[in-house]
Amino acid sequence: MKPGTRLKSAACDTEVMVIRAADGTIECGGAPMDEAKPADAAPLAADFSAGTLMGKRYVDADGKYELLCVKPGKGSLSVDGVALVVKDAKPLPASD
Amino acid sequence: MSLPADAEAKVPAIPLARWADRQLAALARDHGLPRLHGAALLGERGAHGGYRVGGRISAGLGGSRLLPTRDGRWFALTLIRDVDRELLPALFQDEALAVFDHAAIAAAALRHDCADLLERGRMLGLPVASADEEPVSAPVEILERGDKRRRAAGHRPLVVDLSAIWAGPLAGHLLWQAGMEVVKVESLTRPDLIRRDDPATFDRINQGKASLLVDFASAEQKARLIGLIRSADVVIESSRPRALRHLCIDADALVREVPGLVWLTVTGHGARGEPANWVGIGNDCGVAGGLSRALAEVTGEIGYVGDAIADPLTGIVGAREVLRALQQGGAKRIGLSMSAIVAMALAEERAFDRAALDCELRSWGQAVGHPFPALAPRVPSAPVRPLGADTERYLAAALAC
Repeated sequence: MKPGTRLKSAACDTEVMVIRAADGTIECGGAPMDEAKPADAAPLAADFSAGTLMGKRYVDADGKYELLCVKPGKGSLSVDGVALVVKDAKPLPASD
Repeated sequence: MSLPADAEAKVPAIPLARWADRQLAALARDHGLPRLHGAALLGERGAHGGYRVGGRISAGLGGSRLLPTRDGRWFALTLIRDVDRELLPALFQDEALAVFDHAAIAAAALRHDCADLLERGRMLGLPVASADEEPVSAPVEILERGDKRRRAAGHRPLVVDLSAIWAGPLAGHLLWQAGMEVVKVESLTRPDLIRRDDPATFDRINQGKASLLVDFASAEQKARLIGLIRSADVVIESSRPRALRHLCIDADALVREVPGLVWLTVTGHGARGEPANWVGIGNDCGVAGGLSRALAEVTGEIGYVGDAIADPLTGIVGAREVLRALQQGGAKRIGLSMSAIVAMALAEERAFDRAALDCELRSWGQAVGHPFPALAPRVPSAPVRPLGADTERYLAAALAC
């Protein structure tokens, strides 16, 4: 998956931009994400329904995946069934 | 400070300093501020920091660069946090990009159209701009209104300043100059980094303010801070909407509930809708406001004008709007867009004296590599409080609510 690709959730309103990715399947609400939204919405899996937060960066434990939430929704993000977690907040810049 | 004539000839005035000076003259006349000068507020960081006019690289730290794009336009990208560089492969859709290599970044910009980079950069939360964009928001917007409050004669307004860096703190500084009691609030985990990184600038614009250090992870401290806000006359804040929500601060509700509360929201590109999530800082907002294009039209060469020019212009407009709102008495939430304020100042200055402005832009363009105009130092006249020195005094007194 190319960095800068925008992916949409099949199960909720979530949209992410790919910062970093490998070959696994990126999912939201338990369903694979794609550049286009499917005609029929996928069901929201109970295990992946914690929601996404606008502007948060989500990562996996190995640092292979990083997704930026650009539109929030009810599903939560995973790769091959393993949940992603929110990356630490970044401090404000000192100056420009 | 006097300089030899030949040195003076080489260091031109910062374009729009005259516009700023007219605003400051009006503040002195109408609101009793000491007479501060536009050239000082726009140029003091650069003059005292040894900055040089930078051309396509911003003055000072050089954090912002103007990059040509495939479609012959100019894209401004500000990179001052290493974490932002992690987003560059996504911005340029190139996972192999050498993100610390300026030449590689410039080459990547040439492979994309400016509009695509602008859209993706804004979505990624990067401070970006196009030299040819039109600011999408009004410079000053009234976002919410509330009831009037009658203030006793001689009442000294209390300002709670939650903002950081330059624009918001400068607005607070001007309100302090107008005689108000200003309380600067910093987060335990995210203090205002210019306190450490540029203490001279920090001291100039934060002198005389009380200093509060708040642990935003503590529900009690947050509640006491909101209690303090409810007792205040003015709030200054420059957070993105989700940051305020995270702090459980509902600015619109507070303005509706607290009579006479004047709430200043400082943003890069607007406080409403999608632009409220965009990031903009002083140099790129100057580009987004059309100032670099104005320079190119006069000189044939694009470049940055001034030093993070949107910051001081916005600080001045912010103080002016707060002072007016306090005079009117009604509660009000005022949104400022830094890019639109630059565009407004540029348009007003063109209408005021186009020939003089173009002459200044021409001189600025010719001054690339030269030091910023020299200024006599504006010596702080009040102490700078140590970080957190006044936390107890203000938060213990505030009712938790």
